[in-house]
Amino acid sequence: MPSDLIAGQTDQPAATADARAQLRAWVLEKAGGLDPAGLTDQTPLLERRILRSVHLPELILLLERLGGGEIDVEDISPGQFRDIDTMMANFVRPADGSEPRP
Amino acid sequence: MSPTTASAARLAEALSGLGDTVDRLSMLSQRDYQNPYETVQWPDSVDPEGSWFGSPELLSLHGTAQYERLDEPARRRLSFYEAVNFFSLNIHGEKSLMQGLAVRLYRKDLMGVARYLHHFLDEENKHSVYFGGFCTRYARVYRSRQLGFEPARQRDLDDFLFFAKTLVFEEVVDHYNRLQAVDERLHPVARFINHNHHAEESRHLAFGRRLVEALWKCCSPDWDKQTIADVRAYLSQFFVSSWHEYYNPDMYADAGLPDPHAVAEAAWNAPAQREHRRTASIKCTRFLVSADILEKEPIDAF
Repeated sequence: MPSDLIAGQTDQPAATADARAQLRAWVLEKAGGLDPAGLTDQTPLLERRILRSVHLPELILLLERLGGGEIDVEDISPGQFRDIDTMMANFVRPADGSEPRP
Repeated sequence: MSPTTASAARLAEALSGLGDTVDRLSMLSQRDYQNPYETVQWPDSVDPEGSWFGSPELLSLHGTAQYERLDEPARRRLSFYEAVNFFSLNIHGEKSLMQGLAVRLYRKDLMGVARYLHHFLDEENKHSVYFGGFCTRYARVYRSRQLGFEPARQRDLDDFLFFAKTLVFEEVVDHYNRLQAVDERLHPVARFINHNHHAEESRHLAFGRRLVEALWKCCSPDWDKQTIADVRAYLSQFFVSSWHEYYNPDMYADAGLPDPHAVAEAAWNAPAQREHRRTASIKCTRFLVSADILEKEPIDAF
């Protein structure tokens, strides 16, 4: 993984930083042609149509793998996939073992 | 936004051309009408390791190193949970399908196919009775990762994507049904469910192909290049999302395999499984490419 993908995340535990980097790499792969410099952790992915609803089932699988917990689609809303920061906060369990949802 | 007058006229003309198909398929549905509560003799229990519940060659781990490490009882057990997953993904897919069919039933501009939509809706509900009957008696219904929220779209685009997604979903499912319906290694109940589904889906697929092609021809001339590119990208990703459901970590966990997400990822990337997905999709991708709906096969799915 290129080091610039995890720039700014060096103060995080390695596992969480790696999860963030994997999530970012997946978004870039799906975004098809998006300049990596144009993707921040606050870029609104659905709103800017970088991701679409049809991407979400695959994204949920990835987040479950990275976060270690089941995601119940009956209890979530599109806003929880707004951007990388929001997804990390909602679905990826921090390294201290606390619950992922804020 | 409603469809333009020109595309509405083209739709009316296209649907009138489906009249013979609608009549023929409706007649067949009436002839084969069945009661799902009387058709199957459900055993009180089944032994996951005592029978095959899916053809071994169609299992999601077939051709992988993981599969080679399993003994025959473990492979049969895997086939049981893969069958539960297959029936579960059908339940969730048919639930969305029934919602979409119900919304379109007796809509003014789709009146020409209303007669067959009744059968389509009825038969999908009955299929779910069989799928649900198996899952709830012998295991559970696996959760879906498909979300119900779709953005608001113009109606002609929404209609096209709904029926095109239905076609993709049913074509892939039918690949399994067709082969497993005649596989005598399978437990009789599993073979019956596949056989029955295949018989009825054959009609749905015939209808779906005619309708999807008609909708494409009448609607796409009004769409700009970006919209058409978006439709193609959407359908290609739908193949990816649909196929991922066949590699559900939940079923690997129930089958007793450690690290089920890693198993799913390894299976998804295995060359034998890539080829399997391509083969199972080929009738559908050839149709979509020949109709110019897709420009090329959705390589990310394979």
